Formats: sequence, structure tokens, C-alpha cells
Amino acid sequence: MTDPVSSVPEKLSHWGSTPILVRHEIDAAQVLAAVASPVAGATVLFIGTTRSLSDGVVTQRLEYEAYEPMAAKTLGSLRDAAIVRFGLIDCHVVHRLGLVKVGETSVAIATSAAHRREAFEATQWLMEQIKHEVPIWKCEQSADGSREWVHSGSVPMGFLPATPNESSPA
Amino acid sequence: MHDQRPVTNVDKGTLRINLFAGMADVSGCRSVEIEWTGGTVGDLRSRLAACIPAIETLLSRSAVAIAGAYAQDAADVPCGAEVAIIPPVSGG
Repeated sequence: MTDPVSSVPEKLSHWGSTPILVRHEIDAAQVLAAVASPVAGATVLFIGTTRSLSDGVVTQRLEYEAYEPMAAKTLGSLRDAAIVRFGLIDCHVVHRLGLVKVGETSVAIATSAAHRREAFEATQWLMEQIKHEVPIWKCEQSADGSREWVHSGSVPMGFLPATPNESSPA
Repeated sequence: MHDQRPVTNVDKGTLRINLFAGMADVSGCRSVEIEWTGGTVGDLRSRLAACIPAIETLLSRSAVAIAGAYAQDAADVPCGAEVAIIPPVSGG
């Protein structure tokens, strides 16, 4: 993975004080306000919410867990990378951890850009990266008390063992 | 005490491996400590699978992180490193 930090604009130094992982409800208006700019022609806000039905199973709530230092670092790097890659004016990403009830927000991304195309594309790109790279996991919990960690996704390319079960040389 | 070891909660010669989500559920613990005198991520995978056979399937689909960064199988795992097993992620 390339390190995007070396080429990021000066503005990114503000990132240090921004909470990326939170254990309380996410205030979408606050996330949106964080990227406001008089030179922005487009602002996109994405809200990911907990849905009640996942692959036919009724979910009552989700529990999110993270390898927090790495998750925060990776989210920060992705946010920085998105700004550079799409020429954004600003970008803000917040992911919630712990228990999240159905209908509540688990992730919020706001992007501001001169034009809508960059803002939309950057938001979509960020969500894809988050779902493949950031060490955060969700556990689906049903009304009957059953709980299951979701590991149907992936980890970044190139970081799996070459052969899942070490085969002996022929 | 003459012992001049650095102040860490992991002795030299051991490695603490952090486990998360389904990996913690399957193994029944959030971290394991193994004896370690050096080796690669690939070696670590073999050792872990031998220690906790129940995690082998999920481990084969998981990445390994050293000091908070994804590491390839050929990467070196130094003693005392912060190591974590990263099963397939599901944030968002």
C-alpha cells in the first residue's frame, strides 16, 4: 500500500483532532457541517444504517468491534487518499462501534468538492475501501438471542496465505 | 534485580497475538501468547493453527497485521511485536 500522507495538502493536519471511531450516536448534520466550504459546488453525505433484514434473517441490532488503533489509522489514511485521488475540498468519515440498533447510523461519510462527480465518486470509493480494508467487524444479533459475526467479506489483496492449507511439496 | 529487560507486558521470547470478532469467539479468548524466537508471518500462521486447531479455517481467510499494518506471509515477525489476526472485515 502506498502511503498517501506524504503528498496530502496542508489542510489535512486538522484531521488529528477529529473523532473517527465513536461509541455514541452519529450526528449526520455535524458530519455534513464538517466539510462545508464556500468553494464547494457539491457536498455528498452518505449514511449507512443498520437494516432489520440481512439475507432473510431478521436482525434486531448490530454490534461493531474494531482493532481500534489500526482502524482509526486506516480510516484516516483512506480519507487522506480520497482527498488527493478525487481532488476533494474536504472529507469526513465517522464509524460507530458497540451496539447499534436497527435504523441507527453505523457509518457516515461527507465529501465536498467543486463538482458533484468527484464528491459522488469519492464517497463510493471510500465505502468500498472501508468494506475491504478497515479492521471493523459486525455481529448480527437476532431477537432470539442468537449472534453471528459477519466474515463473508475479504481482507486486502495479497495478505492471505498463498495456499490456505499448507500442502507438502510433491 | 539485575534484569534490564525493557518495560513491556510481553517478555522477550514470547509473542502476544490479538484476536477479534469471530476469531475471538472460536478460540474463546481475545489474545494468545506463544513462545517466539523469530520467524515469518507464514511461520506464525502455522504455529497458531497448531496451538488452536479450531481457528484454522477462519485463519486461512484472515490477514495478519504487525504494528497495525497488514503484513505479507514472507514478512518478519520480531519478538515483542504487536500482532493481530484480521479476519474478513465487515464494517460499514
